Amino acid sequence: MADTNEGRFPDPQEIQVPPELEGWEEMYPSHYLFSKERGEWESAQFWYQDKIHAPEPMPPLDLLFQEAWQIALSQYTTRVFCIPPAQGIAQRMVGPYMYICAIAPPPDEIIGEKAGLFEKRVFYVFEHYNELWDKWLTKFKALGEEMKGLEIPKEMPKYVPEDQVLPAPTGCYVSYDLLESFDSLVNQMFKGWQYHFEMLNLTYLAYLMFGDVTRKLFPGISESAIGKMVAGAYVSMFRPEEELCQLSRLAVSLNGVADILKREMTADQKIAELEKTSDGKQWLEAFEKAKDPWFYVSCGSGWFHYEGSWINNLDIPYSYIKSYVERLENGETIERDLDEVEKERDKTVAKYRELIESDEDRNAFDGAHNTVRTIYKYAEDHLFWVEHWFHTIWFSKIREFGTLLVDNGMLNEVDDIFMFNRYEIPEILTEVATAWALGVDIPVRGDYYKAKADKRKKILKAAGDWMPSPALGIPPEEVAEPFTIMLWGVTTDKVKEWLKGMGEVSTEDVSELKGFASSAGVVEGKARVLKRLDEIVGLEPGEILVCPTTNPSWAPVFTKIKAAVTDIGGLTSHAAIVCREYGVPSVTGTGIATSVIKTGDTIQVDGETGVVTIVERA
Amino acid sequence: MDYILNFEILDKTSLPMVGGKNASLGEMIKSGIRVPPGFAVTTDSYLNFITETGIKDKTFEILSHMQPDDVDALNKASAEIQGLINNTSMNDEVQSAIERGYSQLCEKCVFEDLPVAVRSSATAEDLPTASFAGQQDTYLWVVGTDNIINSVRKCWASLYTPRAIDYRNKNDFPHEKVLISVGVQKMVNSRTAGVMFTLNPTNGDPSKVVIEGSWGLGETVVSGSVNPDKFVVDKVVMETNERTISTKHIKCVHDPDGGEVIDVDVEEDMQCKCCLENEEIKELARIAKVIEAHYGRPMDIEWAIDMDFSFPENMFIVQARPETVWSQRKKEPLIGKKSGYQLLMDQAMKRIKIPG
Repeated sequence: MADTNEGRFPDPQEIQVPPELEGWEEMYPSHYLFSKERGEWESAQFWYQDKIHAPEPMPPLDLLFQEAWQIALSQYTTRVFCIPPAQGIAQRMVGPYMYICAIAPPPDEIIGEKAGLFEKRVFYVFEHYNELWDKWLTKFKALGEEMKGLEIPKEMPKYVPEDQVLPAPTGCYVSYDLLESFDSLVNQMFKGWQYHFEMLNLTYLAYLMFGDVTRKLFPGISESAIGKMVAGAYVSMFRPEEELCQLSRLAVSLNGVADILKREMTADQKIAELEKTSDGKQWLEAFEKAKDPWFYVSCGSGWFHYEGSWINNLDIPYSYIKSYVERLENGETIERDLDEVEKERDKTVAKYRELIESDEDRNAFDGAHNTVRTIYKYAEDHLFWVEHWFHTIWFSKIREFGTLLVDNGMLNEVDDIFMFNRYEIPEILTEVATAWALGVDIPVRGDYYKAKADKRKKILKAAGDWMPSPALGIPPEEVAEPFTIMLWGVTTDKVKEWLKGMGEVSTEDVSELKGFASSAGVVEGKARVLKRLDEIVGLEPGEILVCPTTNPSWAPVFTKIKAAVTDIGGLTSHAAIVCREYGVPSVTGTGIATSVIKTGDTIQVDGETGVVTIVERA
Repeated sequence: MDYILNFEILDKTSLPMVGGKNASLGEMIKSGIRVPPGFAVTTDSYLNFITETGIKDKTFEILSHMQPDDVDALNKASAEIQGLINNTSMNDEVQSAIERGYSQLCEKCVFEDLPVAVRSSATAEDLPTASFAGQQDTYLWVVGTDNIINSVRKCWASLYTPRAIDYRNKNDFPHEKVLISVGVQKMVNSRTAGVMFTLNPTNGDPSKVVIEGSWGLGETVVSGSVNPDKFVVDKVVMETNERTISTKHIKCVHDPDGGEVIDVDVEEDMQCKCCLENEEIKELARIAKVIEAHYGRPMDIEWAIDMDFSFPENMFIVQARPETVWSQRKKEPLIGKKSGYQLLMDQAMKRIKIPG
C-alpha cells in the first residue's frame, strides 16, 4: 500500500493486484469489474471492502449470493419502499475481494417523489407486520421445499428410460432437464434473495430511528444499550442451539443414551451404537425431527460453500451435545432463560424511560420503541431461514450437479463446481448434454475445465495472503443508506481510522484498536485469530475470538470464548447481537484486528469503550 | 443517658439528641450510602457538662447582666463563657464515653491514633443554624482522646460566639434551651478521591454518572490542580462508556508532622495509571444512583476511597449537594410531540454527513 497518498484511498481504476492473481478477472461476470466506460462514475464513489459478506476470497459460484443481494437490497430502497434520499449499494470485484459502495443521494425531485411513495407504502407494513411475517414465512418455506424437491439428473443414461417414451414420449429429456434444473435452481436462489429484503430495509431504518431518538435523549448512550432495548429473545437463529439443549436433556433422561453420546467417537459411530437400543432409537428419532429445519445451519456465515452445515457434518452437533450432556451431569444449567432475557430487556427500557424528563419526550420514546419493536423481529428471524436453511439446501443441490460433472469427466472433485460462476456452469452442462446427445465416444473438454478449476483454486489461495486496501475512491460527504451505517458500520470515524491504516507501514506498531463497543464487559486473555471460518476447530475455551466477522450459528462457541473482536460489523452486526445475547464482551468493526493481532497475543477487550489493547505480543 | 451514639443507629428521630448534621449522616447510612464511620457526642453530654460543672448557672448569670447593643460587653461575655467551657474538665462519665467511642473507632479501623474530624452539629433546625452554632466549627486531622475532648469543647463553646449570643438575645430565644451535639468521624485515609455527578455535566444527559478522580485527597480534583481521570457510566446498563486516563503529577496528602495537607509528587509509574479499579467505578456509580434517589434530585458528590478498608467498605461519600447547573435550566422537550411514524419519516429523510 505504499502507492497511496495520505488522506485518500487508491483510485479504483489504478489499483494493482499482485501478479500471483493473474487471470482473476475471468472468474467473475464482467460487469463486476471496474471499467473504463463507467470509470468517471466509479472514481467518484467511495468503495470499501465488504468483510461481512466477502471476508475471504470469493469462489466464483458463491458470488451469486452477492449478485442477488445487490439487486434485491437496492431495489427495496430505490424502487419498492422508496427511502427518499437513499440509493442502492453497488458491488465490484478487485482480485477475489468484493468492494461495495453506497451510492450518493439522487436529485431533489426524485427525493420528493420517493417521499410520497414511502409514506404510503411503508407505514402499512408496520401496521400489518405480524400477518405479513406469517405470509412471508409461509412463502419462504414453500420456496425452500420447492428447491429441496427439485429433480436434478443423477446420470446421463445410456438410453432414455422406457417410461419416458412409452406409451407417450415425454417430449423432453435429460439433456433439457439438466439445463432447466440448473436454471430453476438459480432462479429460486434469486427469488429467495428478493424475499430476504422484503422488510429488512425498513427494519434497519426503524432501528436507526430508535437509535437517534435515544441518543437525543441520552447523548452518550452506547450501541449495546440501544441494542439491548430492541433485541428479542425468541429468535430463530438461536433455535438450533435450543434444540441441542433439549436433545441433551432427553439423552440424560433416557437409558444409556448419554453414555454413548459422551464417548470419543465419530457421529456415525455414535448413531450406529444408538441404533442398537430402543432408548437410543427413540433419541435418534427426536434428533431426526429436530434436524429439518433446525440443523440446516451453516458452520459459518452461510455465504461460502466450504463452510459446511450441521446436517452434512453431524460431528459438529454431536460434539456440542456431548459437552451439554457433560454439563447437565455436572448439575449445570445449559439453556438460557428466554423469558428472563425478555424481562431484562423490558426492565432496561423502563429504566431509561423513567429518566426522561418531559411527558412529550416520553411519549415520543414510547412511539419510537413500539415502532422498532413491531418490526425488529424480522432482522432477527430472516437470517436463519435465508442464509442458513435456504443456503444449506442450495449447496447440497449444487453438489448434485458437481457429482454429475465429476461422473462425466468434466471435474476432478465435486466442489470444483464452485470454481465456475453461474454463467459458466450452463456452458459446461450444455457440453455434457451435447456430447450425450451426439452419441457414443464423443470427446469432451474435461481437461480444459479441470485445469481452469485448478488455476482458480490457486488464485483464491494466493489471494488469502494479500491484504487489499480497506477502501477505494473518495470518502463521501454524507451517507443515507441504512445498511451502510447499520450493518457495515461505516461512519466518519471508521473512514478516518481506515485512512490512518493506509499510512501504516507495519502492523506490529499498532498496540491499540478502536471499534464499536457492542457488548459490555472488560476482559483480558489470549487471542485466537480465525481468518478462515473453518479454523474454528482450533479454538480453545477461554480464548478471545478475533475474526473478520462472527455469526450466530457459532452460538455454542460463545459459551466457550471470553470475548470477541471483529474487523467489520456495525450496530447490529451478527457478532454484536450474539455477543450481547451471551453476555460476552465484544468490540466490532475495528477494521484491522485480524491483521494486527496474532494468535497467542494477550489482549484486553473493553466492550464498554470499544478499545482493544494488545497487552503482550506472543 | 446516651453520651455518645454511633452514626449507624441514627435517623431523623435522633435529631434532638445529635443535631441535623449527624442525623443526616445516619439517614444516609440507612439508605445504603457509605460515609466514614464515627459517633455523635450527644446533647446529653453537653447538658451534663454545663449542668454538673455549674457552667449553666454561671452563663445565665453573666448573660443576665448584659445590656443589649453593648458590643464591648457582648465580646467580653462571649470570651468569658467560651473560656469557661474550654477550661473546665468534663466529668468522668462524659469523658470516658468519648474515650470509649474513640477507642472503638480506632479498633474498627484497625488504626492506632486514628485521625478524625470533629464537627459541631446544631439541633435547632428551625432557626438559621449558623447563628446558633457560631462558626459551625470543624477540626480536621485530630488525633488522640485529649485532643478530641478539647475539640469537642471548642465546638460546644461555638454556641457562645458574640454573634450567636446577640442573635438569641434579639430573637428572645432562651440561651439555656439551645443545645449542641458534636460529630467525631474518621478522616478518610484517601488512596483515590474525587467528585461525581448524577448527570453528565457537559450535556445534561440524565442517564449518566460522571466520575472524576485522582490519587490522594480530593482537594486536587476539587481545585482543578490536576487533570483527573474521568469515567462516564451508564446508570441503566451500568457500562463504563468513556474512560479517560490523565497524567496525574501531584497528589494531596496529610502531613502528620506539620498537621496539614500538602501537595506531593506522584511516583512516576503511578502518574498514568488508572486511579480506580473497574469494580470501584461500578460501585461509585451505584452509590451515586442511591444518593440521587435519596435526595430526589441530581446531585454533586464528593467521594474518597480509604486505604484502611477493603472493597467495598472503603468507598466513602464525603459530601453531597444538589447539582445546580442543569437542574435549574428550563426543560425543553428534546424530541417533542412526535409519533413513531413521524419519527420514522424524519429518519428516512435524514442523511448522515461525513465531513471530508
